[in-house]
Amino acid sequence: MKPLLRYITRRILFFIPLFIGVTALTFFMVNAIGDPVEMMLAEVPGVSQRQIEMVKKFFGTDLPIALRYFKWLANLLHLDLGVSIYKGKPVLNLLSTYGAQTLKIQLASLAISLILSIFLGVTAAVNQNTKKDTAIMSLSLLCRSIPGFWLGLILILVFSNWLMFFPSYGALSSKEYLFGSRFLDELWHMVLPTLMLIFFDLPAFTLLMRSSMVDVLREDYILAARASGLGKKTVIWKHALKNAIAPVIAYASYTFGVMIASSPVTETVFTWPGVGFLFVDAITNLDYPIIMGVILILVVSVFIASLVADILYVIIDPRIKLE
Amino acid sequence: MKLKSPIKIRIFKENSFWDLAWKRFKRKKLGLIGLSLVLMITVMGIFAPLLALYDPNDQSALIYGPGSYAPPSLAHPLGTDRFGFDVYSRILYGARTALIVGILTAILSSIIGIMIGAIAGFLGGQTDEILMRFTEAFMLVPSFVVILFLVRIFNILSPKTFLGQIPLLNLWIIIFVLAVFDWPPIARVARSQFLKLKDQEFVEAARCLGASNWRIIFNHVLPNALPPIAVLSALEVGNAILSEAMISFLGFGDPHVISWGQMLTFAAQDMQVAPWVVIAPGVFIFLMILGSNLLAESLSDALNPRLKE
Amino acid sequence: MSETQSSEKLLKVENLVTYFYTSSGVVKAVDDITFDIKRGEVVGLVGESGSGKSVTCLSILRTVPRPGKIVGGKIIFKGSNLLEKSETEMQKIRGKEISMIFQNPAFSLNPICTIGEQLVEILRWHTGLNKEEAAERVIKLLKAVKLPDPERRFNQYPHELSGGMKQRVVIARALLCNPSLLLADEPTTNVDTTVQAQLLNLLNDLKRDFGMAILFVTHDMGIVAQLTNRVIVLYCGKVCEIADTETIFSEARHPYTKALISSVPRFDYKVSQRQKLKVIEGSIPDPISPPSGCRFHPRCSYADAVCKSKVPEPRELEPGHIVACHHAGEIKWSD
Repeated sequence: MKPLLRYITRRILFFIPLFIGVTALTFFMVNAIGDPVEMMLAEVPGVSQRQIEMVKKFFGTDLPIALRYFKWLANLLHLDLGVSIYKGKPVLNLLSTYGAQTLKIQLASLAISLILSIFLGVTAAVNQNTKKDTAIMSLSLLCRSIPGFWLGLILILVFSNWLMFFPSYGALSSKEYLFGSRFLDELWHMVLPTLMLIFFDLPAFTLLMRSSMVDVLREDYILAARASGLGKKTVIWKHALKNAIAPVIAYASYTFGVMIASSPVTETVFTWPGVGFLFVDAITNLDYPIIMGVILILVVSVFIASLVADILYVIIDPRIKLE
Repeated sequence: MKLKSPIKIRIFKENSFWDLAWKRFKRKKLGLIGLSLVLMITVMGIFAPLLALYDPNDQSALIYGPGSYAPPSLAHPLGTDRFGFDVYSRILYGARTALIVGILTAILSSIIGIMIGAIAGFLGGQTDEILMRFTEAFMLVPSFVVILFLVRIFNILSPKTFLGQIPLLNLWIIIFVLAVFDWPPIARVARSQFLKLKDQEFVEAARCLGASNWRIIFNHVLPNALPPIAVLSALEVGNAILSEAMISFLGFGDPHVISWGQMLTFAAQDMQVAPWVVIAPGVFIFLMILGSNLLAESLSDALNPRLKE
Repeated sequence: MSETQSSEKLLKVENLVTYFYTSSGVVKAVDDITFDIKRGEVVGLVGESGSGKSVTCLSILRTVPRPGKIVGGKIIFKGSNLLEKSETEMQKIRGKEISMIFQNPAFSLNPICTIGEQLVEILRWHTGLNKEEAAERVIKLLKAVKLPDPERRFNQYPHELSGGMKQRVVIARALLCNPSLLLADEPTTNVDTTVQAQLLNLLNDLKRDFGMAILFVTHDMGIVAQLTNRVIVLYCGKVCEIADTETIFSEARHPYTKALISSVPRFDYKVSQRQKLKVIEGSIPDPISPPSGCRFHPRCSYADAVCKSKVPEPRELEPGHIVACHHAGEIKWSD
């Protein structure tokens, strides 16, 4: 246990300067180009200069940038991320509400993609160069080429507009829940956006699983296991898969960490109230508390994801040791 | 018993590397498909003014034609959109934007990548370590979010400075930002190629003959290192076009050019009324990405003979 | 008489053909070979790389990897043809009646399982033993292969063992169920020479204790001299010569066999001090399009027109001595 804690502590220590660097840079960039309060109030007619100054004081944009940054950092230490300039709500609340929605579809997609990709990837590798393999490979490559956001639109076109199977926007019906159940209603809304995300994730996982499995199947110890009389299923699913799965799991962890990356587009297509949607809004309005909040989540989640991926590697493969 | 005369050694016909590469490339019909897709779209882009039926900003359909949201017809093969523009003509001009973004981003990111990779690989040691750490950090960052952020920042910033005078500034910004985030894979490949090649004998020989470092890099190492980098560049073209489409779709693109992604923004809103407007731009984005992916796959197979068995 | 004769022959390979269907063409790895192995004897399978030695072993076990396929022939083991058995039946034979040990010990053990886990799994797969009984058996076997400190090694991973130790484990794995036939595919090639000597001695001892027959694949004539009772010489997928070890060294009839023996450095004082090492000129033929007629003819000092056009059939020159050469028995060796 001790070497693990030491390793984690060391990683965190390396991470802190990076964290400060990135957040400071972002903060500076956003705030240097314009004052969001001024931008917001510029569109409101009949506001006096004094009123603008008052609002600025409230949000703290009258202070010099460096000072604002340190205030932000200080507030961070007691989990206060500030208040959104445009929405007027605390950033932490916004992030958790919107974040939960993003997590819903991202986790669903990740889980389904991971499980399906294991089956598809192993099947493709075991039947390498046969029709099954070519089919799986070509489909995956094809899916990689289709622009995901366009597919989302087509999904809406077909399943929402024409067939009317699924709703085309939002996370929850505004009037009546599906079959009166809130849970079912949420699931019903989740289907299409999750499908689109699976479209992003599944091909990548499948191709990775396949290539990792192909490499493992070529190894002598797999042949030796077969030569010792073990059944094909045991050899493939127990011996080969355990050896091949490490890169896939690491990549899954990484995908989880950067899930924010695919959210702006998905959530815009489906008008899904998630973090990506919030972010696009925020950068349009230069709502910097939200921008900082999202960047914060981003940096931290990438860090955690890569840490988890490294630790998983060590757990799965006894040859690898923590450095 | 008669003794046979000394053994005849079998001579294998020496096929040049390029002969074999072209044979393999041809064998992969997919590569040809990829190449033809890319060429087709290139032709569309270059000859857009000739091939287009209308000026892309021509709203005459509203007055003289079938109006806005008109379904495909003889006069408008792909219909019209909400502004009365001819979708077909806009697609053609959109091809220009796509190509410019794709090719320029690929070139720019390749240059940056090769430079960094070459320096890291050639100099080695501390420089290598630092540069590689830097590259890895760049690769971890979920680039799209940051790209959106940077594009927005520059959008607001640039009109205020002298840069605001440059036409199509937004487009150059997008190209620049995309390139800045897409060089790491190229740098890694460039570095590994340079590491491999710098120890080879012909480099030693060149050095003995008095060639300077730069000369060695350009004339000897670079030509050998190019193939895998070319593969990545081909992929990059498709990636860049997709990224630009997504950026424009979200509304951060350049309003002065016609972009397929931007066409989809309005199309998405008009889907109930005019479904055909969604299909065309997406199909072409797909074809372009597919083309560049297929091209990259077959380039990689042709230049890297690998045992598939 | 014939009953005891056929029961003596543990393995009879008849006209075995195994091809690999690659994208560059059909590799004729094993092209019509016939040989047999008696109970308890050690037979050496000799040839250059690419002669089909490993593929022969894999064919016997029917674990030829894709794109290889056994195309023809019979493999009769203890009276029944292995090529007619179902996959389930073969699984009862692999590792139990016929075992194999591979060239590279570092790669033939599963890196993420402990030694104990791997061996216990195989033992339990073939027998009905529970975990404790199986573990006991495995440790006993690890002791038999002279692995130092077997109880500790039982719980270790392969990368924690040295090459020699790994190979001992591999041998132990092969002997878990007391097979009647052990296929050894160049097990000493990737090991230090000192360890090589130890392993060969170990194999000798184990043969004495367990009584299994061994098909020992090698390209090293020195090992052949040390270990084997009989020798099969392969070239380019075909049998050249089969004879007792002594006969092979003293009275080889096939030019290739003769060349193989002459290319081994000799240290006995009977040989003239001015003898130079004979090198077999030319290189290994292309297995996709091998030479016409006798496959060795391009490199043979004694070849003539017949050799170029007709494929020599194996003939029994003397009892137990089979040669596939048009001029077998007629050639006066030049040294």
